[in-house]
Amino acid sequence: LRRRLAVVCAVAGAAAAGWLYLRHQKERQQRSRRLQHLRQLALGQGDFQLQDTSGAARSKADFLGRWVLLYFGFTHCPDVCPEELEKLSRAVELLERDPALPPLQPLFVTVDPERDDAAALARYLRDFHPRLLGLTGTPEQVRAAAAAFRVYVSAGPRDADGDYVVDHSVLTFLVDPDGIFRDCYSRSRTAEEVARSVRGHMDAYEPLPP
Amino acid sequence: CSGMAAPTMAERKACWGARDEFWQCLDSHGEDAAKCEKLRRAFESRCPQQWVKHFDKRRDFLKYKKKLETEGYSPPEAAGKS
Repeated sequence: LRRRLAVVCAVAGAAAAGWLYLRHQKERQQRSRRLQHLRQLALGQGDFQLQDTSGAARSKADFLGRWVLLYFGFTHCPDVCPEELEKLSRAVELLERDPALPPLQPLFVTVDPERDDAAALARYLRDFHPRLLGLTGTPEQVRAAAAAFRVYVSAGPRDADGDYVVDHSVLTFLVDPDGIFRDCYSRSRTAEEVARSVRGHMDAYEPLPP
Repeated sequence: CSGMAAPTMAERKACWGARDEFWQCLDSHGEDAAKCEKLRRAFESRCPQQWVKHFDKRRDFLKYKKKLETEGYSPPEAAGKS
């Protein structure tokens, strides 16, 4: 009787193991299909064609392999943009302190291409994180980039000196090394909170299979 | 001609400082702008006109928000909706 019991247990065990294996395979296939879909989405979603402050053409593809923290603003901004850039710089600094974390690229995209050319951006961004890279372009390119991120942009009326402010969504976007949008941070989040959130995403990250 | 360069970090901080001094004066004189003329002029000279307008609107908004927090919201009587 004991031997029969042992055989039954062995068979049941093998059946259970087989079932678990098949389920595991199915889950892996589903995950892989979902990741393929995400990969296609990543290529189309949130792309931009802009130029950096050295005049080089930059698109989202140039930043694949790195995490990106991206903020839309303009240099004639009264207070919000400098504050958000300080926060962004501080968050990047906090994360840089941990050498185990992957590299993080801070990006600034202007919503005021008429005034914010490469020289203006370079001058403005000097006051913030040394690796903060500025991007500008033609009005069409900038409009397309803002639209890709669903960022609201509206230039206000010009005064007698031709000066104006640009009303815009105040958001910092986190994009992963596969170019997939992962999170966004509003004005109310502190640098420490942003750093903590980015670190959480980095820890949970699984690269898309090639 | 909008050839003016954007304010530098130092200029921004000077503007914010002048704004804060003006606002502190308003705080201690119950929003009586007449008592703070000199600081108002300093604020206007240190900041681009667009920024002065922006900060004036911000001040109004902050005052309104404070009023809502302390007095509660009462809809305008002239609304005439029923």
